[in-house]
Amino acid sequence: MLTRLTLQQKILYYSLLTILALIILFPIYYMVIISLKLPKDIYRTPSLLPINATTQNYVDLFDPDKGNFLLNIRNSFIVAGSATFVSVLFSSMAAYSLVRLRYLYRDWFGRLILLAYLTPGSVLFIPLSVIIARLQLGNTLHGLIFVYLTFSTPLSTWLLMGYFKSIPVDLDEQAMVDGATRIQAFFQILLPLSAPGLIAVSVFAFTGAWNELLFGLLFVTSPDLRTVPVAISYLITGDVFRWGLIMAASVSAAVPVMILYYMAQRFVVKGLSAGAVKM
Amino acid sequence: MNIRQKHFLHFCIVALLAVLVIQPAIAQDRPKLVYWGGLIFSETANNMQVERIEQWGEENNVDVEVVMINQNEIVEKVSAAIEAGTVPDVFEPGTGFMLLLSQTGQLEALDDLYAEIGEAHGGWLPSVDAVMNNPIYEGVKYGIPYGANGNVLFRRNDVLEPLGYPDAPATWEELGEMAIAANNPPDYYGAGIALSNVGDGNLTQTMLQSWGGRIADDEGKTCTLDSPETREFLTWITELYGEGVFPPGATTWDGAGDNTAYQSGQAVFIANPGSVYLYMRDNDPDLAEGTRYSALPDGPVVRVSPAGVVVRSIFANSTNKDLAKQLIANLAEDDFIEEYYNNAIYAPALQGHTGFAVFTESAVHAGLLDLALNGTPAGFPDADNAAYAEFSNNFTIPKMIQRVVVDGLSIDDAVVEAQAVCAEIYAKYE
Amino acid sequence: MTQEVIRSPQMEQAKPSRMTLRQSERLTGYLLVAPVIACIIALIVFPFFYAISISFTDKMVGTEGNFVGLENFGYLLRQSRFTETIRNTIVLVTSVQLLKLVFGMGIAVLLNQEVRGKNIWRGLILLPWAMPAFVAFITWKLLFAAQGGAINMILLGTGLTTTHVDFMSKELAMPSVIIASFWRGFPFWVISFLAGMQNIPQERYEAAALDGASAWGRFRYITLPGLRHVILVVVLLSTIATTNSFEAIWLITGGGPSNATMTFPVLAYYGLQSLRIGEAAAVSVSLLPVFAVLAFIVAVLLQRQED
Repeated sequence: MLTRLTLQQKILYYSLLTILALIILFPIYYMVIISLKLPKDIYRTPSLLPINATTQNYVDLFDPDKGNFLLNIRNSFIVAGSATFVSVLFSSMAAYSLVRLRYLYRDWFGRLILLAYLTPGSVLFIPLSVIIARLQLGNTLHGLIFVYLTFSTPLSTWLLMGYFKSIPVDLDEQAMVDGATRIQAFFQILLPLSAPGLIAVSVFAFTGAWNELLFGLLFVTSPDLRTVPVAISYLITGDVFRWGLIMAASVSAAVPVMILYYMAQRFVVKGLSAGAVKM
Repeated sequence: MNIRQKHFLHFCIVALLAVLVIQPAIAQDRPKLVYWGGLIFSETANNMQVERIEQWGEENNVDVEVVMINQNEIVEKVSAAIEAGTVPDVFEPGTGFMLLLSQTGQLEALDDLYAEIGEAHGGWLPSVDAVMNNPIYEGVKYGIPYGANGNVLFRRNDVLEPLGYPDAPATWEELGEMAIAANNPPDYYGAGIALSNVGDGNLTQTMLQSWGGRIADDEGKTCTLDSPETREFLTWITELYGEGVFPPGATTWDGAGDNTAYQSGQAVFIANPGSVYLYMRDNDPDLAEGTRYSALPDGPVVRVSPAGVVVRSIFANSTNKDLAKQLIANLAEDDFIEEYYNNAIYAPALQGHTGFAVFTESAVHAGLLDLALNGTPAGFPDADNAAYAEFSNNFTIPKMIQRVVVDGLSIDDAVVEAQAVCAEIYAKYE
Repeated sequence: MTQEVIRSPQMEQAKPSRMTLRQSERLTGYLLVAPVIACIIALIVFPFFYAISISFTDKMVGTEGNFVGLENFGYLLRQSRFTETIRNTIVLVTSVQLLKLVFGMGIAVLLNQEVRGKNIWRGLILLPWAMPAFVAFITWKLLFAAQGGAINMILLGTGLTTTHVDFMSKELAMPSVIIASFWRGFPFWVISFLAGMQNIPQERYEAAALDGASAWGRFRYITLPGLRHVILVVVLLSTIATTNSFEAIWLITGGGPSNATMTFPVLAYYGLQSLRIGEAAAVSVSLLPVFAVLAFIVAVLLQRQED
């Protein structure tokens, strides 16, 4: 909307962007600096510069005999990836049903999804652990996948309902007139058209699952099954924060997600844009 | 849908329901024992324990699953497991948590094992025995101690000696004077003592008790916090705070606050269970060089230096109680525990272990042994019951101090308010 | 849509030729929505009613608990820190939400321009979101710390202060928590606003520019009304999430100093540490009516806009 910027406006504009970048990046810069230091340097000669920088923390972190952080990253990818995939599949099916099909109690199903947001937080983990144990999903990655996909599904469904509404009904009706079944029309016409919306929803679901700590901590006990946040929380033992390792782990775990975001972000904005307005 | 498909569908639904409803009893050739240990700062000690338990499993033809659990989340983890019916056989709860769990019948009585292990190793240390004989348990032992712990006072001798304070403070008031003398912000803060809503902050509860203040009456039934002694203590610590000897942030520190302050070289005194010692030994020998260790100082009225106990308990729901008991007895054997104490930061719980070399060779271990031999039982002089545990879990004393030093309440108002909170908690357990 | 639901099955039976089609549509509809509903019933509906039901009992972990009526809520009300907890919760939530709204909108406007490296900028915005919340908040705790904290290092190093600034003091603790929560939470807002802006027809801006509207005027009369819907939904979702959020406060201040940053979830956490889950549940359940009212208001506003 601002096509012709004056020089003054340009200066103002880019200085605002720079301030923004500083605010976002400063804590992250500090994390990286700390991840490059040994404990004594962190405590005795705190500095904003990488004095006595070492990669020791990263070496220890990925040492299979010590931390084996690669295993945690793998677990997180399995959990977040599967939860995202299933969640997007389920929620697109539900959204299609709630937007395009007509049946009894449809509105009630829509409201039930809203209920997910009102659920009181702090004691939630107790009934959830009961359910996970009954389903024999305790101490498995499946249990985590189930929990994460359930918690990301309501928002995904909402967003996709908006997205599907923005796609003209004529398109899938035309396909059905041409002989496709409803399911075919859904998978072959609507889903491909909704790619940006699906990607946006995937990013939300993935982020939620990738970063979740409490359920990961409670539902998984074996060290081999720990996800990234759980593994990082285990670097705080009692009253000791192993800052160098914690930050090395956080930085390492953020890299794959950042790459993912960078690739996905243009779709996120595009995908949400239809969904958000009609949500 | 044809008939066969329909049957198949029905079969699937029934099978699914069966799996969900009936917990399948999986036949096992070998018994399985699940052990949840408490993760401590020393990685060597953690690994030693895991290896020992696994080795025991192999020797006794038992499948063992041993996991070290992060102690910061043990309450959530165990609460969820209890409600879900997925508790381990053996775990390490800490005495406060053991007390709460014993009150709702979660834990197995271990009186015979307690007596047996005590006899095999020259008897339990009196302070350890006192904790386990707390009247609240009505004579039943719900845990087997494997070490004693508590706070040791760390001081920066390299700072204090040049100022004319070569010796450890004998009383808290003396510590206050030394802290004021050494205080020189932002380089040095005199007293690295937490005043926050965290376990470390409850050191102030110990201090209050050493001033003669009491949380409740001797029966542990009625709150008696509001007393002249409580007011005297609160006045003293408020004045000390006014001198600026507490590092900025001490009223919001988490458990790591004192560690960070001391490891930064900015605190002259801290009270710490020993993790700072291990840190310095491995990372900062210069700081260790300038550090001296001593017991917590006396108060004006009584000496309170709580010796805590670390315990192993067996869940009442465990299906392998005998094996669990064998394992616990095995972990008390001399060959293992001596090596374990070299790396962990505990005093021994058993008389037969007090002679290990580490308790004379390492200053902190010696301090811990001294604490275990001469310390006071948890809660002393108060009764350590469920109400006392909740009172402590709510950090009522550090909060009372914060009300004065942070919110500017008068001493009187803060004491009256804390008394009300305290009375409400004790009323719940009548 | 509402009419469809009300239309009775009998009416449809009167038209047998349409019936099979309607029926198959209905069946497909139920089948497609079933997995999501099943997940929600399994993992959300049961815990929801469980939390409400135990909030009326004296349940401790491992015990059944007896019905105690409103006792837990009474205990909550009688606590001296209760009013402070309400005030803090309101202060925290409104300030964080206002900051996110104002800055989120500002940043979205900035990033909506045709700027070189647009994708990099938009990727950058998501960074605070790319790490677990507890990592973000322990990092902020470290930034604010007096001992070795980055902000104090800068202040001391540049001579702006001569001694450590205590960011955890009564006055500064809440602002510190607010800043950290804002930092962690704003990407979601920026991205949602940016998305909403894509849907505002470019012609409107062009028409306004021809009429000589100022940049502010275009924002005020075109962008803002165009985003009404997005703003409502984001505010609702984020307000519930922020009110329930625990990590920021617990990790940075533990609710202190004194009760300066005590909020409902932290209060519930203390109940949990004593295994009194009935009490802990009461703390979170007491917020439910507030959320329900909030959700209702947003629903009404959304409805009104659609009409």
